[in-house]
Amino acid sequence: MTAQEVRLCGLLLHEHFGEVVEKVGTHLLRSGAQNLRTIIHETGLSVDLVKKSLMVLVQHGACLFSSGRKGPGSPTEYRSGCDRILRILRYPRYIYTAKTLYGDTGELVVEELLQRGHMTMSGTVKTVADRLTQNMEEGRSMDYSEVSSAFSKLVETHFLQRCPKLAGAGTADSTTSAIPPTPESFPDCYKVPHMTLVGRGKRQLAAEDGEDQRNAKRQKMDSEVDEGIYWQVNFERFHLHFRDQAIISAVANKLDQTSSEIVRTMLRMSEVTTSPAATCTKPLSANEIFRSLPASYNIPRPILDQYLTLLVDDPMEFVGKAGESGGGMYVVNLHRALANLARATLESVVQERFGSRSARIFRLLLRKRHLEQKQVEDFAMIPAKEAKDMLYTLLSQNLVQLQEIPKTPDYAPSRTFYLYTVNQLPTARMLLQNCYKTVANLIERRLFESKESKRLLEKSQRIEAILASLQASGAEPEQLTEVEEMITAPEKQQLDALKLHINKLDSAENQVDETIFLLESYVNSTATSTV
Amino acid sequence: MAARGRSRRTLSFSVDSVGINRGESLPPTLQQPTPVFPVMEQKPLPLTGGEEAEYLLALKQDFRGAMRSLPCFIQPAAALRDVERYSDKYHSSEHTDGLMDWTPDWQRFPRELRIHARKPARDGVSVARSDAQSAQKKKKKKVREKEEVLIKLETLQKKEEQQSEEDDDDDNTEQKKKQEDDDADGDEEYDEEEFEEETDYIMSYFDNGEDFGGDSDDNMDEAIY
Repeated sequence: MTAQEVRLCGLLLHEHFGEVVEKVGTHLLRSGAQNLRTIIHETGLSVDLVKKSLMVLVQHGACLFSSGRKGPGSPTEYRSGCDRILRILRYPRYIYTAKTLYGDTGELVVEELLQRGHMTMSGTVKTVADRLTQNMEEGRSMDYSEVSSAFSKLVETHFLQRCPKLAGAGTADSTTSAIPPTPESFPDCYKVPHMTLVGRGKRQLAAEDGEDQRNAKRQKMDSEVDEGIYWQVNFERFHLHFRDQAIISAVANKLDQTSSEIVRTMLRMSEVTTSPAATCTKPLSANEIFRSLPASYNIPRPILDQYLTLLVDDPMEFVGKAGESGGGMYVVNLHRALANLARATLESVVQERFGSRSARIFRLLLRKRHLEQKQVEDFAMIPAKEAKDMLYTLLSQNLVQLQEIPKTPDYAPSRTFYLYTVNQLPTARMLLQNCYKTVANLIERRLFESKESKRLLEKSQRIEAILASLQASGAEPEQLTEVEEMITAPEKQQLDALKLHINKLDSAENQVDETIFLLESYVNSTATSTV
Repeated sequence: MAARGRSRRTLSFSVDSVGINRGESLPPTLQQPTPVFPVMEQKPLPLTGGEEAEYLLALKQDFRGAMRSLPCFIQPAAALRDVERYSDKYHSSEHTDGLMDWTPDWQRFPRELRIHARKPARDGVSVARSDAQSAQKKKKKKVREKEEVLIKLETLQKKEEQQSEEDDDDDNTEQKKKQEDDDADGDEEYDEEEFEEETDYIMSYFDNGEDFGGDSDDNMDEAIY
């Protein structure tokens, strides 16, 4: 938990859950596992507030609790991790992906689950049906079965999973293991409970207040079939999907559309057979690939072979050849593809910050590993003075490191080789921390901008509310213009500029998050493999 | 540092291998922290626009707005302002309706996190609720005080009617006082003093000079004024 990560987590918690949860959350992040009394004492908040915020954190999966370290009698300890809270940055991307795959229904299901943390299937279906019915025309309403089918599809493709059963939540169980169980360790993690929800979404009308209360009472009396089965969003699956998309778009950019379609087919075929931490997909024969290509792409068999050979020979090494049987066995090298994508990101960062010649030096050092000063000048074809300047700038920014190779055991400077080198993994980690710092700065700037113009924003909100109520009660256009004119022209300009700035800052956060995802996937993939 | 002590211009590393030629000066040393907003030689690239980016932006802002209205957005009690304002009564109702105040499934949470809600007013954290409670208490107190004052007035009226038999009346009033009003203990003495001679003046305030000069006659050394 680096300082930048903790700062960013604090800002995200503040925006989405309020400052009380932020205080408790950052305290947990900084201090590790603690029990309730220590948290209350050290944050200085009231008991009720701390309890409520811990419940919110546990509900959203940001905090785990387990029985204490000193044995079964000790109080429960709470611990929190940065990873889960940093996912909040990626929520819009998850919702958008669900929309592209499963339409509006899927989008709303995922959004509800992200807002509430854990929910039962019946609760989700009802809320989503109501929301969809709100937006439909008069007289039409959303059937529960449609929403249920979208939910089941999401579960089948593993985008949603059941929350793990927390044994020992009610009683201090001495048999709970030290490591909290992952959702995957349960056999029916992805099994949809057998229930038929019959009903339609309810439209919320003002006149229906009495009816709503009666309906609510009736719903409570119906016995919930899926009591205690809670669902959550499976972030790992979404990450795998993003990774596949990144590989496919990289192939499309580097080669052409057809090669990207071939790679997409290969990835689709190995979706179920590849484990999340696998280095490469299972080998697929060229015959299988040929059969599974989408019908719109009817390329003849020899052309497919040529494309595959091209993909294998490409220096980016996305696709590798694993054997000759079945017309050639091909794999997609996942970890190597991630490493290459991360390397491309590093190169583009250097290019945008220091210029294309510095980028040339950087790429040279990545390829040739260790080079002396003189060799750098020769290979990069840059005059000595400028090359020296650029190297020193890169060195001062810690993107390039100096490696000493002594000729004599006393490391005498005149008798030591000094070689420049670039280590990809530590540099990627450093840039990842820079990205976290960037996002935190963007959020703080956005909060600062809105705080400066707080008065103006409040005024405009009030005027909008007045306008809306006037329109609802049917007012003449003159009254509307009169109300609109309460905001003067320079104020309107100021408001527009403010909106533009806030949108830009928000959009920049989304973009930086894409880089964060790439670098995080690369760093995590190296943690498991030895590449 | 190996080459210290000799006042010769030798550097600790070989100049050739690191690339500094003769006659060139080293860059100036830095004597203060780098500026907070350094000048950028290269301007950053513009943001990628497009439909997808705009939709993601809209999703993000909607999500943030929706989270603010959910019950998991915990706001501490609003800071008390310096002066009580009339509008506080109306502002307090704004914050207290979360979308269906959630009832969590207690199987999934440790038991120690349960907040036992004794009254509906205790659940909410805003000052408004606790203010309403204390306001109710204050109202009750005020009502009780008013009742006490009314009871006192009634008993005083009764005493005026029964002034012929003082002792009995005093006893009666004492008994009545003890029965009716627990708080009015000081009234007994008050009544006796006042109604001894049926005047409007409280007797203990009047000093008729009997005690003056009668004390300490033995010691004549001190002057008596």
